[in-house]
Formats: sequence, structure tokens, C-alpha cells
Amino acid sequence: MTDRPRALEAAPLLPLAVAFAAGIAAAAWYENTPPRLLIAAGAMLLVAALLLSARRPRVALTMALAAIALCGALRTAPAPLPLDHLARRALDARVTLEARLDQEPVRWALDRTRLLVEVDALHLGPERLPASGRVQLTVYGEPTAPLGEGQRILVDARVYRPIGFRNPGGFDYPAHLRRDGILLVGNTRGDRVTALTPDLPPWRVAAKRWAVTVITTRLPETSGALLAGLLLGERTALPRESDEAFRRAGVYHILAVSGFNVALLAGAVFTGLALCGVPRRGTAVVAAAVLLAFAAVVGAQPSVLRATVMGLLLLAALLLDRESQLPNALALAALALLIWRPGDLWEPGFQLSFAATAGIVYLTPWLTRLLVDRGWPNWLAAATAVSLGAQAAVTPLMLLHFNQLSLVGIVANLAVVPLAGVATTLGMGALLVELASATVADLLFQALWLVLLALRAAVHVAAALPAAMVHLPAPGPATVTAWYVALLLAPLAAGSRRLRAVVGLLLVVVGVLSAWPWLRPTESMLRVTFLDIGQGDAALIELPEGPRLLVDGGPGGGRRFDVGERVLAPFLWNRPLGRLDAVALSHWDLDHSGGLAAVFTHFDVGEFWESGRPPPGPSDAVTALARSRTPRRVLTAGRRLWIGRALITVLGPGAGPPGAANDDSLVLRLDWRGVSLLLAGDLGSRGEAQLVERGGPLRTLALKVAHHGSRFSSTAPFLEATQPHLAVISVGARNPFGHPSPDALARLVSSGARVYRTDRDGAVILETDGRRLRVTTWATGAVEELDLVSGDTTAPE
Amino acid sequence: MPYTLPQLRLLILLAMTLLMGLGVREWRARYPDAADRLERFDREESAVPLEPDAPAPAPPSSASRRAAPPIATPAVSGLSPPGSAPTGTAPPPPAQPIDVNRADAAELARLPGVSSALAQRIVEERERRGRFDSPEALRYVLGMGPKKLAAIRPFVTVSD
Repeated sequence: MTDRPRALEAAPLLPLAVAFAAGIAAAAWYENTPPRLLIAAGAMLLVAALLLSARRPRVALTMALAAIALCGALRTAPAPLPLDHLARRALDARVTLEARLDQEPVRWALDRTRLLVEVDALHLGPERLPASGRVQLTVYGEPTAPLGEGQRILVDARVYRPIGFRNPGGFDYPAHLRRDGILLVGNTRGDRVTALTPDLPPWRVAAKRWAVTVITTRLPETSGALLAGLLLGERTALPRESDEAFRRAGVYHILAVSGFNVALLAGAVFTGLALCGVPRRGTAVVAAAVLLAFAAVVGAQPSVLRATVMGLLLLAALLLDRESQLPNALALAALALLIWRPGDLWEPGFQLSFAATAGIVYLTPWLTRLLVDRGWPNWLAAATAVSLGAQAAVTPLMLLHFNQLSLVGIVANLAVVPLAGVATTLGMGALLVELASATVADLLFQALWLVLLALRAAVHVAAALPAAMVHLPAPGPATVTAWYVALLLAPLAAGSRRLRAVVGLLLVVVGVLSAWPWLRPTESMLRVTFLDIGQGDAALIELPEGPRLLVDGGPGGGRRFDVGERVLAPFLWNRPLGRLDAVALSHWDLDHSGGLAAVFTHFDVGEFWESGRPPPGPSDAVTALARSRTPRRVLTAGRRLWIGRALITVLGPGAGPPGAANDDSLVLRLDWRGVSLLLAGDLGSRGEAQLVERGGPLRTLALKVAHHGSRFSSTAPFLEATQPHLAVISVGARNPFGHPSPDALARLVSSGARVYRTDRDGAVILETDGRRLRVTTWATGAVEELDLVSGDTTAPE
Repeated sequence: MPYTLPQLRLLILLAMTLLMGLGVREWRARYPDAADRLERFDREESAVPLEPDAPAPAPPSSASRRAAPPIATPAVSGLSPPGSAPTGTAPPPPAQPIDVNRADAAELARLPGVSSALAQRIVEERERRGRFDSPEALRYVLGMGPKKLAAIRPFVTVSD
């Protein structure tokens, strides 16, 4: 009736892999102390052995699996840092390091290159101290000499601990780096990197460079960049809009090297050799060698390793004349990868690769049968089932990590995957021919260009469809679990009414839980989140009964790391916002307006509030605003408007002639149930003085401190007039301006304000019902409560 | 027959691919412009290098909207300090200090020892950081060493 029981029996490694992974996952929830775990695991195995001799094999198996789970937990325990590790030192602002490049440099923006180095020594004046540690360096500008993997360099850099952006639902960047053994990051300039040895890369790097050079010289730029992505996973040269189109169409996976490439490669080698009359065992050996070489060239990403392990296992089965079992091969790959790098369990790449493969292996036979029974032609049913199986398995993960749900993905894959298959096979063939004859290879590349154009056209059409991709909040653990259990049971439910009812019920649970953010009653609470977006300002004000106001969008836009796209937009996606009722911009400086480009691109904005001072020049935010056709409203001092039940009073800029951009910041005041908040933009001393002069309601409970705590702001007269109880400074760590200045901090503290700062506290969240005010600092998790009636401060629990 | 059927199929496929490649090569050689347009069909306009003095994109008409002024009104004249209007050619040091937070690349290039490339980088760095808080912050610009900074120090100011 079903394949599952047989499949399980034939996959003895599956329970082991699941137990090991469960151990790793569980270890994240408690502090594990290795010796205790080791003893526990040993004891469990002993008990299991005893139970086995007492003829209780089932209980013994459970005990043994639990012991394996403990081994998984043990494996996550971090190894103690070596004594000479750089992270053990208190480092000066600037250090000179002697290091070896552990990877090819990655150019991720026009003038930014990322180097991953393994440190050998630290130079302190004339002294050379041996040191160790992996450091990720960002190089600004052009390095003086071309750099490559394996090269030894001397570099003068600022080195510090990574902090990332600490916002609710945000990506934990330091943890991601830590899993890769990187405890320190740094930045430097191109002219501060000196090569100590010539650039003589190992053969695999040389092969990859050669392939990229051939591809980019034989093909025009965009098509060449696409082929480099298809064949080698080299996506850095791919233009931004193409990258975005592949995401929107839900076919981004073909740009990563995966089982798809490995299967095509193995298949091509196999068929080619078989057609030339090489015996089967010979072809299997050659194919295995080619797979290993390919994996070495493209690098050790989880998806490549998974596919290579599985491919080798299938080839080995062929060699030994054994029947191959996909679930078992998948489990072995998982086990091997997790033993080697347990932290990969948390990496999106690992999860997506294994989920997609498991979805295809487990769901496709059932789905194919389902479709064929409905009268679909066999080939179409099989292709659709593969696409559906993979999509069903990765959907929760895509939502969890990227808030993305591609609605055209299932259909787009039907067209894109075959084209990508042809392009990949032809591309590999052309590279091989290039070794023998440049002329013939050129002809192959010309033909390949047409295939690549067709592929781009298919992706372009799919991505251009309205609602090709929607952004939704990340699902909770209950939703994800219910979905996967439903998937697990679905193929078994064909014969059983009860199971079918269970699956139906689970799907209803998934539906209700996913829709809950929209269904639940609105809170009668005011919440203000000052986001940690680095050096800049962005605050989301969520008013009772639903209206939402975003004040400033932080830095972003342009071709560099786009904080708007990577931090602000995910934060907003994770709140079930249909729309933002208004977006207010204090002034057009890029640390306030840059991130708005992403906001206007991705969100429905009711109104745009501005001070009326024109932007200094064209920018991505200006373009995105114009394109979004958002209605604009110019606000000047004295204007009052209601948003929901809260009153917004505009305190600046005044009507006079334009002054400095900062002093002309749009200054807003919000009042709700006696709670007040003053958002002071980037006011300098003159702007603050004008504000005090102009009068108006200035006394406030909470103040968004002007200009990131600059020493020219937060002047004594202004603080005298506003008398804030809470002062929030929106500022980035290690900013070059010295914000917040000690003088301004001292003035704030002496005015009696409690100071919060996003560079230390992460996101600062104020929540109030009008009687009590709760302040949460996200980086530390600390919560403080202030009784607005009596004025007492307490820290609950 | 010297070949098996699958072998023959592969041969025909190969020959067809090569023939197609030959055709594409000839076509691209004859119509390079059309080929270039085809290659860029899904690229945005901005990917095409801009003319050096291309006008900024005109803002959309806001007539149909609420009373709000268009977003990009020419404002450079009102913001630049007097006397810093870009003059034609090789620069004597500016008579009045240049505000590095306001000046455009052409004005900055009039500073002693500042090439137009360096001026451009100053502007880029300013856009990235938002503003320079002090003249010393110019050190973050690639190519702005201590000597160069000392040389231009008398001619620059920083507005807050």
C-alpha cells in the first residue's frame, strides 16, 4: 500500500541521523557541561547493553538513540580557545596581523572585498607574537596586489567582535560567524594589505578561476555571470536585478551548486562513457572521481557536500551491485555533515538542501501517483511532483529565514529547471572542450548563450507576474511542526480515514495559526521600537487599534550592504503589517532616508510626511518614493494631526528661511493617554534653541535624542524645556563621528533622564497602556517597568 | 551500422548544437547592436552608463496629489556657500573655505592636492556616512593621508 515501512527498514541510518540532529537542536536550549553529558551517554549505552541481554531490544534501542542524541549535544560544546587566540586578547583599536587567506577573496560590492584569514602572528611594535584565530576582514577600496587563497599577508586592521543588528526576529550574525569559527571581524583599507608570498593558489582554486575566466570571456556579462552561478555557484558578478528576479520567481536554488549539478555531472559522465563503450564499473569509478574533483573546486557548502556524499554512495552501490536506498544515503550525508560541523544544522543552506531532498525523496512517489490517477501525462506528473514535493518541504524554512513565499515557484520551476539542466550540461561540456579546442568551445558557448537567454526570459516573465512572491511573518514552532507532521502523514493517509482526518485537522491548524496575526484582536497598547540599524535612525510606532507610523528608515540603499533591505524590511515583515499608515522622514541625510528605499519598494505606505526641505540629490529612496506614488504631506511647526487616537504635534521646522539640514529636521511629538514622546531628528544646538524659542508643548516622558547624541545637540536649555524621563539614543557602535559624545551623555544624565542606546542595548522597545511603561532592551533581554502614576521603577522578575 | 542508436542520437545532437553555435556567432558578428540589446533585455536602464551631464530624473507631477511640492527642486544654489560656484579650469586654492559636507565633487577638486577622483571619493564617503563630523573625519576617505589633510585643512570647514 505504501512505500514508507519498506523505506524505513531500508534506511537504518535515518533514526541515527534524526537522533543526532535532535541532540544538537536540544543543546541550544540548555547549558551543557561536557563531562556530565559524557557520563550520561556512557551510562545510557551501558543500560542499553544490559537491556539487550535481558531481551528488551525495543527499550534498548530507545536508550541507544538517546545516547546518540547526547553525543550530538556533546558535539556542539565549543572547544576551549587556544591560549594564543586573538579573541583572548584585549586588542588595541588598530593591530598588525600576519595571516593566511583561508578562502578566495569575495568582492561583494564595488569597493568592498571580504577576506577570511587564519591569523599566525600579531605584530606589536618590533615584537612578533604567535597568535591564532579566524578573522573576517572587510577591505575598503582596491587591494594593492591581487590576492588569492593560501597567500600570506601582513595587514593593518581594526579588529573587533561582531555584533550584527539586534532586533526582534533579526538574524543572529555573530552566531552565524561563530559556527564558522569566526570570533572576530575587522576592517581595513586596500593599501594596508601587504602580500608576503606570491599568489600561488592550490589547483582547485586555479581550476575555478580558469573556469570563471573562460565563461566571462566567452559570454556577454549578464549571461556569463548567470552561467558562473549555475555551474560554480559564483554569484558575485550577477547584477542585482537578476538576483532579485530569480528570488521572486522562486528558482533561486538553481544559482546555488546543489544535488542538481552533481546529478547532472554524474549523469553526463556516466552516459558519455557508457556510450563510448566503457564498462559499467569503470564509468562508476570515473564518475566518483569527477564528483570529488567538482566538490573540491566549488567548495565545501552544505548542499554540495550533501549531494556529493549521496552521489558517491549511489555509485558505490552500483559498484558493489547493491540496491541503492535514497533515504539511507540522505541520512548518511546528514550524519556525516553534522558530525563534521554540528552548527550547520542552524544554517539556512543546510536546512533547505536537506528539506528539499527529503521532500523529493519522500513525497514525489505519492504525488506522482496522485497526479497520474487524475489523468495527467506521466512526464508532466513526475516533473510537477518533484517541484511540489520540494516546495512543500522548503516553504516553512523560506518563511522562517527569509519571510518569502514564492507563489509562482512551482510553475516557474517546470520551465526553468529543464533549461538550467541543458545550460549546465552544455556549459560543463563546453569547458571540457575548451581544454582541447578553443574554436569548437566558442561555438558551444554561442549555442549556450541562446539557452541562457531563454532561461533569463522565463525567469523574467515569472518574476514580473503580480504577487509572484509575497512576504509573510515567520511561522512559529507550532505551525512549522504541524506542517511537517501533516507532510509526513499525507502519503500514508490514502488508505485510512482516521489518518486523513488527522492530516486535515493539522492543515486547519496550520491555516489558523498562520492567519492568527490578522485575526487576533488589536491590543490597546502603544509600542515604540527604536531599531538597531547601525548608525542612523529608525523607529516604528504601533498605536493602539492598529495604526502604524514609521519615523525614518535608517541607512541603506545603494550598492553596499542595504540595511533597509536586510534589517528594516525583515523586521516589518515579521509584524503582520498590511501597510504602514504613515512614514515620516526627519530629513534626507542617508542615515535616515537610505532604508526607506526598501520600505517604499516592499510596503504599502498610506502617506509620506516630510519637512518640505528638498533632498540634496537623487537617491534610491527618492526614486522608490516617486515610483511608489505615495501621497506626500508637508508638515511645519504648529500643525496637529490625529493618527488613530494619538495626537501628533509638529514642533519643527519653523516657517522661516531654510537653515542647515539638521536644524530643519521634522520634529514630531506624540501624545496618547498622557504618554508623550518627542522625536528630535538630527537637531543641532541652533535647531534646539529655535524649538525652545518657538514654544509649544515640549515637556515629554520619552525623548528620541537629537543627532545620535552628538555633542552639539541635547543642550542644557533644551533638556531643561523637555525634562525627559527616558532618553533613547539611536546610534551605531564604532561610528566615526564619536557619537554619542560623553558631554551629551553627561548632560542627559544630569537632567535626570534614564539613557538607552541602540549601540549597546540593541533595539529599545517602549510599551505602555497609559498606566505602566515597559522598556525592553533587546540585546540584553532586560525589562524595566515604570509606573506612570506613582513614578516607581521596577525590574520584574 | 558503425553506431548504436543512442550514440547516433548523441552525435546528431552535438552536430546540431555546433551548427546552432555557428549560426549565433555569424548573427552576432553581423548585428552586434541587436545582440547587445538582447543581452540586456532584463537589465534596468540605470545599468547603462550615464552621460556625464545627464539631468537628474524629473520628479513625477504631483498635481493630482495632495498639495505637496515636488521632491527634487533645484536647491544647490541655495545651499552652497557663496564664492564656491564651480569655475572653469585649474584651481587656485579657494578664497573662502569649502564646506566638505555641502560641496560637490567639482568644488572639492579645487582644494590643493585633491584630484577629481579623490573628490569623487570624498563625496561617496560623505554619502555613505551621512556627513563628516570634523575635518579629521576626512581621513576615512581612501587616499586622504595626514599630509594631504594638513594641506587642505585651512581651506575646509564642516557644517554640523
